[in-house]
Amino acid sequence: MTIRNVRDHGQRFRPRMTCLKKVEAVILEMQDPKTGVKSQPQRLVITTIPHAITGEDIVAWLANRYSIQTEEACTLGRMLVAFGYIYPLQDHKRLIIKPDASLYRFQTPYFWPAQQWPVEDTDYAIYLAKRNIRKKGILEMYEQEQYNSLHKWMNHKWDFIVMQAKEQYRAGKERKKPDRVVFDCQERAYWVVHRPPPGTISAMDYGLERMVDPNAEEKQTSDFFRRTIIFTQQSIMRPRVKSSVSIGALVKYSITYNKHDPFLAPCLPSNPWLTDDVTYWMLNMTNVEIPTKMRVERWTFSFGELLADPRGRADFTLFLKKEFSGENLAFWEACEDLKWGTAATMNEKAQQIYKTFLARGAPRWINIDGKTMEVTVKGLKHPHRYVLDAAQTHIFMLMKKDSYGRYLKSPVFKETQKRAIDPEQHRFSVTQLEANAKKRRPSLSPIIVRQQEEEERARMATSGPVDITQLCRFTAPVPHLAVYSGPLSSPPFPLCLPHTPACPSPISVTIDSTPASERRWEEGVGGGEGGEADQVGEGTAVSSRSRMALSLGRLLRRGCSPSTVFASLSPKFPAPAGNSSRVQPISTDQIGQAPPRRIANFFQIKVDIPPECRIYPIDSEDEEESGGASKGGGGGEGGGEGQVKEIICPWESLTPHEGAG
Amino acid sequence: MNRWQRTVGEIQTRKRQVAECERALEALSKVTACFQQMATSVGSSSDSSSLREKTNDTRALAHKVCTGLHRKLVPLLAETVPGQEDRDKVEQLWVHFLTGLESLQQDLYKFGDLTDRFPLKQKNDRRALIKTGASDEFSGVAAQAASTQSPWVGTEVEQNPDLKTHITQIDAMIKEMLQKVSIPFWAVESTQEAWTEGVDFSDAADDQDETLEVEVVSQDGKMSGCCHPPNCKFGCMLCLLT
Repeated sequence: MTIRNVRDHGQRFRPRMTCLKKVEAVILEMQDPKTGVKSQPQRLVITTIPHAITGEDIVAWLANRYSIQTEEACTLGRMLVAFGYIYPLQDHKRLIIKPDASLYRFQTPYFWPAQQWPVEDTDYAIYLAKRNIRKKGILEMYEQEQYNSLHKWMNHKWDFIVMQAKEQYRAGKERKKPDRVVFDCQERAYWVVHRPPPGTISAMDYGLERMVDPNAEEKQTSDFFRRTIIFTQQSIMRPRVKSSVSIGALVKYSITYNKHDPFLAPCLPSNPWLTDDVTYWMLNMTNVEIPTKMRVERWTFSFGELLADPRGRADFTLFLKKEFSGENLAFWEACEDLKWGTAATMNEKAQQIYKTFLARGAPRWINIDGKTMEVTVKGLKHPHRYVLDAAQTHIFMLMKKDSYGRYLKSPVFKETQKRAIDPEQHRFSVTQLEANAKKRRPSLSPIIVRQQEEEERARMATSGPVDITQLCRFTAPVPHLAVYSGPLSSPPFPLCLPHTPACPSPISVTIDSTPASERRWEEGVGGGEGGEADQVGEGTAVSSRSRMALSLGRLLRRGCSPSTVFASLSPKFPAPAGNSSRVQPISTDQIGQAPPRRIANFFQIKVDIPPECRIYPIDSEDEEESGGASKGGGGGEGGGEGQVKEIICPWESLTPHEGAG
Repeated sequence: MNRWQRTVGEIQTRKRQVAECERALEALSKVTACFQQMATSVGSSSDSSSLREKTNDTRALAHKVCTGLHRKLVPLLAETVPGQEDRDKVEQLWVHFLTGLESLQQDLYKFGDLTDRFPLKQKNDRRALIKTGASDEFSGVAAQAASTQSPWVGTEVEQNPDLKTHITQIDAMIKEMLQKVSIPFWAVESTQEAWTEGVDFSDAADDQDETLEVEVVSQDGKMSGCCHPPNCKFGCMLCLLT
């Protein structure tokens, strides 16, 4: 009637109990009248009880029998006590062995821990009821709690439990007094082992149950030998690394991270767990503007470290922006988002990523080799979480080999390094430590933190995606597909209208002085805020941008993404070598397919910029170009052959050029 | 059957049967308790063949009570119509009987295991017995067990099965009982409040002083600390069995 879970697939053997058989053998040896442990009588007030043994005798016997040191014998003895084969007569709650004259006694085999007899709660309930009878309600706290809980859960059996407890009590009384004392001690010891008081470490903790009884001898059938053969074959086939190599790697790791390990080197300013002062955590928050020196040093250890730290990643993003090769990192982040994101949005995300990064003529085209591209595009037909893994790895290695090195030598990084702070070590007196402890408060709830992040993201999205500058002059974003700029600065998806006939590509846009302002924006971002490379900061800090934000807001209301604003303005600079987006030659057919619209009047955006920004030499060039574009935009298709090459994304017109989706 | 249609005689018979079953359950409980007391000494230095004999006798008694109770209870339950007054009682009996059977079964398993591990056939085997400090005086317990009156003396007495058979029989009995009658176990509620047994139990009051005497320990002047519970009327009597 007690529910026994028989659908456990045979997993009912407790793995650590293998040693029980061996312990029992030891105990049996200790019984030998000649060679066993010497026993002595225990004197009580009214009687003496034989067969008590002292701790020192036990330890001495173990050391002698197994030719081990006293320390080891002590440990072994402690194990015997912890498992419940020997119980202490004084201080019965602490299951340790004291190698002095304190007394112990052997536990009767009925109460030995056994593999096949898991301890039953019913028995415990009966025991507690018995104790209640004897002690009239005076039980320990934890026993009371257990009693109450058992009374609740075993309510249906409770009458029987009480009845049985009474009967057992009566039966116990039939025995002679010394025997009763012995029995009571035995039973109490048994339950101390199997229902330990809270806070004690129990030897009976054994983890998950296993399918095979560890105490059972395995029969050596042909199946057993077959399995052994397979196991040994696999061991031989396993790839090996020379220990000099693996140890060398371990040593290198230890040396590198030695000072960064809070156990081995003191945390600066102080370890919050020890001093209750949270400065350390404040200084190392995710979006802090000025990182600590230790943090910056970690970024130099490996590229993975740099990317793993959000502040480091932000710094790196900033650097890449200046180099106009941010699409790699954006792609990498997009892949991470795909891998770790919810399954529901996976398909969309994969398509998005394809359109933004991989397709021919994509706005942020990344440079991966042909084979990887082939494999990826093929995989995208049936997208799953890891479909972009190959491409992601390729890009990761590219960034690591190329950009990372340059980053470490770049002014951005050097600036960050210079500005990094090195806090002083706290020196708290005892009273200060106590005061700190009193001031402990719980931190923000993760729900609130997440809400803040969402708000942050939303704010950033409306203030315009920062990576428009990554557009090469020959690429243009698709208006209804906002530029993907990674999960941190999520694109304004709600603003993406899948079919906005109002804003197809391309996108010759006339914006007064926008190139200049945009330029200013870039510069402002790059130079002025070396230390605070947050995309957040960029979005909100500078006031000249706020007006831009307003105008962008106007734009957005018209249902077009802000990316169109900057369409034709990719500043005219030579495309940087290496990993920046490579331009796909545009065939004239494509251009013919979707005529550029007259957007000239659409985007009249007045942006107020401080006069000093107009100094940039390129301004005039850009203005010319935009002027030219506007002329061309109004004119007709392919008007700007010599100027802005307008790219019409192939999938918009659903050409067969599309590889997937 | 509509209860109005039942005769007085039937109702009385049923009441008698239920009372019989209750008494039988108490007997089972007693016998199981005695069995357990004796089983705890198997393998210890107080073990002996006479102990094992006595244990077996007790086991035989338990078997008798079990089978009898089983035979009586199943038809009772089968006859129970929903809405009957003593349905609760009968269900309670059922649940308790099952619990008792499981408890007994566990003890039987352990007993069997231990007797196998510590055989007493050879002379040398006695050396292997664990020195637990108990003596081998079990007559009182055995007598108590023997004193249980099974309420159906005189009915057919089966042969006392040996241990293995007994265990399998109980196994089968439990399974059969579980399948035959479907009662929601958790619907059965206990008639006792929690913690009442400590207050009510009269036997415990008698030998309070005695138990306390035993509980005092003096070990060469070393005395274990007392927990000083608030109700402790005995001041700083050192409780061995706290």
